[in-house]
Amino acid sequence: MLKKIVLLLLAAGLIGGSVAYYLWTKKVPSMAGEKSELVTSAEQLFTEFANDETAATTKYVGKIVTVSGKVRESSKMEDGTPKVLLETGSDFGVSCEFDPNTKHAHTNFQPGTMLTLKGECAGLNLDVQLARCVVVE
Amino acid sequence: MTKTNPLLTISLSTRHMKKLILFAAALCALAIPASAQKFFTRDAKVQFNSDTPMEKIEAVNKSGTAIIDTQTGKMEWKVLIKNFIFEKALMQEHFNENYMESSKFPNATFKGALTDLSSVNFGKDGTYKVKTKGTMEIHGVKKEIEVPGTLTIGGGAITIKSDFTVACADYNIQIPGVVREKIAKEINVKVEAKLNPMK
Repeated sequence: MLKKIVLLLLAAGLIGGSVAYYLWTKKVPSMAGEKSELVTSAEQLFTEFANDETAATTKYVGKIVTVSGKVRESSKMEDGTPKVLLETGSDFGVSCEFDPNTKHAHTNFQPGTMLTLKGECAGLNLDVQLARCVVVE
Repeated sequence: MTKTNPLLTISLSTRHMKKLILFAAALCALAIPASAQKFFTRDAKVQFNSDTPMEKIEAVNKSGTAIIDTQTGKMEWKVLIKNFIFEKALMQEHFNENYMESSKFPNATFKGALTDLSSVNFGKDGTYKVKTKGTMEIHGVKKEIEVPGTLTIGGGAITIKSDFTVACADYNIQIPGVVREKIAKEINVKVEAKLNPMK
């Protein structure tokens, strides 16, 4: 009986430990598999932040947002991470930094191209910034 | 009476002319255009790491904004907390939801100025050791700090680098007991940004 209890405890400990190890070491998943919570246009998203940053922060920050807009600038950051700035009709744009955990089919876009991107909204820092973006085909 | 531009009435001797040409050439050779006063970037890199024997935690934010006014030495930095990229999912989640509460406090800022503006010649290429004093705001808590750094003038741009530490307790960042051994009490922060003249 005691042997059984010890074995059961050992098994439970092993399972618990494995689950904890898996959760602790799990990598940040690709944005491609994440479900979009809000859909909007770059112009609408920027306007909401420009008009009422607090309300827009509550609505968008931390949410997975799908944004459509016209490319103003397509560039690569110093470490090679692609970045796209979408037009908003103002001096500032919606800045989308590409997801490092996704293999992107295209990363270079001509200015004026219509593009739909999905990423996690980080908030307003001159531009509205979207982190870990992927192109939505 | 007709007003004449005094500049036009100055008759330049050859010696004066030479001086003027030399002055103009010197202006052109300046590392930074004489008109440039404010330098700016959208790609400031802010990296932090927490090293304990139990765990090494690293994250980077490559989309910070930074601006410096070379006339006054004033500068402002801002990063969005949600834009810190981690390798491990659970670390990213805990960082945003439990420690930094990024939905409530979406950004971290620093507003300050160089302590000794006269020690930097913005017109001459080179690397200058500087100190910056100002207000850091993290997790909704403001604190006066002074941090060392280097300021490199070259190629018409200003590169700023700084390494400093941030104590979690100073900014009311609570680390729960379960993971206390895995997270350092003082976090090492590394900042690097290349600022270009504002157009």
